[in-house]
Amino acid sequence: MTPASNTDAVLKIDNLALHFLGQDSIVEALKGITMEIAAGEVVGVVGESGSGKSVTALNTLRLLPRTKTRIPHGTVSVLGRDVMTLNEAELQKVRGGDVSMIFQEPMTALNPVLRVREQMFDVILRHQTISPADAEKLSLKLLSDMKIQDAERVFNAYPHELSGGMRQRVMIAMAFSCQPKLIVADEPTTALDVTVQAQILNLLRERARATKTAVMLITHDLAVVAQLCDRVYVMYKGKIVEQGLTRDVIGKPQHAYTRALLNALPEGKKPKSRLETVAASMIEGQAAVAAPVAQRTTVQAGFKLYGRATPLFEAVGATVRYPKKYNLLGRAISYQTAVNQVNLSLYEGQTLAIVGESGCGKTSFANSIVGLVPLASGELRYKGKNLRDHDELTRREVQIVFQDPQSSLDPRWPIWRIMTEPLTVGKRPSRNELRETAAGLCEMVGLDPNAIDRLPHEFSGGQRQRIAIGRALSVHPRLLLLDEPTSALDVSVQAQILNLLLDLQEKYQLSYLFISHNVAVVRHIADHVAVMYMGQVVESGESEQVLTRPTHEYTRTLMDAVPTLERAFAA
Amino acid sequence: MSSVAENAPNSAGAKTTGQDLLTGLIPLLLQLRKLAWLIFAVTTLLFFVLRQAGDPALVLAGNDATPEQLAAIRAQFGLDRPLIIQYFSYMWNVLQFDFGKSLASAEPALGKVLDMVPRTLHLAGMAILLTATIAIPLGSWLGFKPENPERRAVSGFLFVMQGVPGFVTALVLIQVFAVNLRWLPSLGYEWFEPKTWVLPTCSLASFLFPSLTRVVAANVAEAMREDYIRTARANGASQSALLWKHAVPNALLGAAALIGTQFAALLGGSAIIETIFSWPGMGWLLLESVQTLDFPVVQALAFMIAIMVFTVNACTDLVFRFLDPRLRTKGA
Repeated sequence: MTPASNTDAVLKIDNLALHFLGQDSIVEALKGITMEIAAGEVVGVVGESGSGKSVTALNTLRLLPRTKTRIPHGTVSVLGRDVMTLNEAELQKVRGGDVSMIFQEPMTALNPVLRVREQMFDVILRHQTISPADAEKLSLKLLSDMKIQDAERVFNAYPHELSGGMRQRVMIAMAFSCQPKLIVADEPTTALDVTVQAQILNLLRERARATKTAVMLITHDLAVVAQLCDRVYVMYKGKIVEQGLTRDVIGKPQHAYTRALLNALPEGKKPKSRLETVAASMIEGQAAVAAPVAQRTTVQAGFKLYGRATPLFEAVGATVRYPKKYNLLGRAISYQTAVNQVNLSLYEGQTLAIVGESGCGKTSFANSIVGLVPLASGELRYKGKNLRDHDELTRREVQIVFQDPQSSLDPRWPIWRIMTEPLTVGKRPSRNELRETAAGLCEMVGLDPNAIDRLPHEFSGGQRQRIAIGRALSVHPRLLLLDEPTSALDVSVQAQILNLLLDLQEKYQLSYLFISHNVAVVRHIADHVAVMYMGQVVESGESEQVLTRPTHEYTRTLMDAVPTLERAFAA
Repeated sequence: MSSVAENAPNSAGAKTTGQDLLTGLIPLLLQLRKLAWLIFAVTTLLFFVLRQAGDPALVLAGNDATPEQLAAIRAQFGLDRPLIIQYFSYMWNVLQFDFGKSLASAEPALGKVLDMVPRTLHLAGMAILLTATIAIPLGSWLGFKPENPERRAVSGFLFVMQGVPGFVTALVLIQVFAVNLRWLPSLGYEWFEPKTWVLPTCSLASFLFPSLTRVVAANVAEAMREDYIRTARANGASQSALLWKHAVPNALLGAAALIGTQFAALLGGSAIIETIFSWPGMGWLLLESVQTLDFPVVQALAFMIAIMVFTVNACTDLVFRFLDPRLRTKGA
């Protein structure tokens, strides 16, 4: 359990506390953490948002604004030097030299107006005294070490010309460019697709092994830690609550929080069972979460069932195209096909999941169902009739919940207005009626009905997603389109939302079209699964069948790429 | 461009270049179509508005003309025809770039306007140049650490400057440098006498410079919060490298757009500045011909201004494409 001896510690954090100074408040981000990373070690730091893991990472290089932070006690030393006492010029030598960082968002972490060449030179020439010609040779070697086939092209490209995975390879190549002793990787693969994530993590581990570089891997994904890390620190509310060898911590968790975190994962649980959530006592301000689902009959009475014999919803040869090139008159002459001849059917009270990676067309498909993008050909049938031929009231039975609850709610509207806005289309119900309805909806989705006058920013991410679900429920839908409803949320909050969705489905016989890239979540919630790849459904069927015995090659690749606790321990 | 090489590995030669040329022309043709609509709208609107503003026959004949004289003039210039007929014959002439003759001097109206174009461009160009040389460094300095007290004071001063009308600045400058110090002439324009340029340029620049500085500052401040700045810092970039190499080039993309959209305002400002300094340019001519109800000249000026504003905006678009690599490849 004890880390390597002090002599070869690359990073040593001792009883570090860090406070953020707000306008008239102080947030205690770190409350005395102690951590050590030895040369050549890969160490995971796990925790949910707000646990202090990213603060720990950024503070290692003193990247937090000094005017807005205070460090009451503690030290951070890198290779035996106390980082806290270094001045700006000395820090600039450490940054990118002895210690380098890899950030989460490869889309925004590279400068959009500079070529990869300029950005790599920027680092290399700052920390090493070599000629530009040698720097170029070094860069190309670093890029090909990252298994980039056409290193020359990537080297001369601008970031926007590269895919997310390629950009992250460039970031990692830059991080290794000056033989650092420690690499701090802050959620390096969270923004990437699973198949790309697998490649990137392998590369990171491989390079770290080959160069004996220590890695601090910040992540919220326990499965990633299980696969990659020698040791792990579990952080919760600014403290390290558990640490040890990965196998011990994940196999035999000691602390209640670690156990709760593992239990909240849908992976390995019985499909459609209730997931354990991190106890309300551990997460403050979430008491409303435990509220029983749905009491008010006025709201419930609106849900009307439809026969089970025929599919509730069908897509027949659905195709979506986006214009790509225009002619002289501004008319489109060539198209990119985003959704290609998709056939699917969904029955009342069931869940059909669409799984696929970014760009596979799953969101375009959802948008075409609610009419945000037109179909180029094919038909969408609802209750046996073309969706477009239904009257407005029936079309309303199809509702959508979007991915990002941070940006999909109007920040200036109280939530009663947000939740009841669909009811005001073409009608003018009284303010009191709407507020009454909103309170009922709040109860349905497990929010405090007295909170209807608050604004979205007063709620947490999970609560906001409840608001979005409540808004969709306001018009008594039969079919809910859920576009990655939990991917922006922490694991324990994800468990709460999945529980809510399952409860609502049982109570009102709702049908879900559930779009996700997360295989474990899909396995948990879906009856049927369709796998999309490059605009086409390559495989579909019962979820158990598709996810455990995939027949299509792409589905198999996808399944192999998903990091799982099970597989990590088998290895 | 790097992406082109990838798409066309071996099929070099005339065919590819010909196609590229054609697809390259499409944006230009689309722009010209927009310009045609704009000019149509401007000339039409102006034709009817000016007819409401006053009777051209009255201007031609003078105030003490008899009704018979007026009728004769109306007949001579076709002003007795129905308005819609006059409009069509006017538009037909505009199509041939014929705006008629100036009522004041009997010269062709368009020729009179064209004489003024270089002088106004001279003034506007110098003003923009001056603005950019001050606003970009000053704005970058302000945006780098916007919380800093002295920079806040400068920002406050700029905020006040933005509210001061340009003619006030012009009059203050004249009072100080021409009347009190007697360093510079207070009016007139000579091609080879840079002394006569200084005050008009500074006055006109004062229209644009506060807002441009504030936009650059805001953009730099925003860029400094971007993820790639954090990356650069984590890689050990110095403060000056962060600002000049990483933040400013991104911030200037927003500022270039502002220069384009503010050009119209600048031409409006030049009407005031040119009149104050007797700078014989388009603005001066505009005020002059509006006062004397010299319709043909006003219409020719509007036509010219529409073309100029449009061209500058189109050029800004090109500058954007040059500065922003993301737009560069999208166009190809």
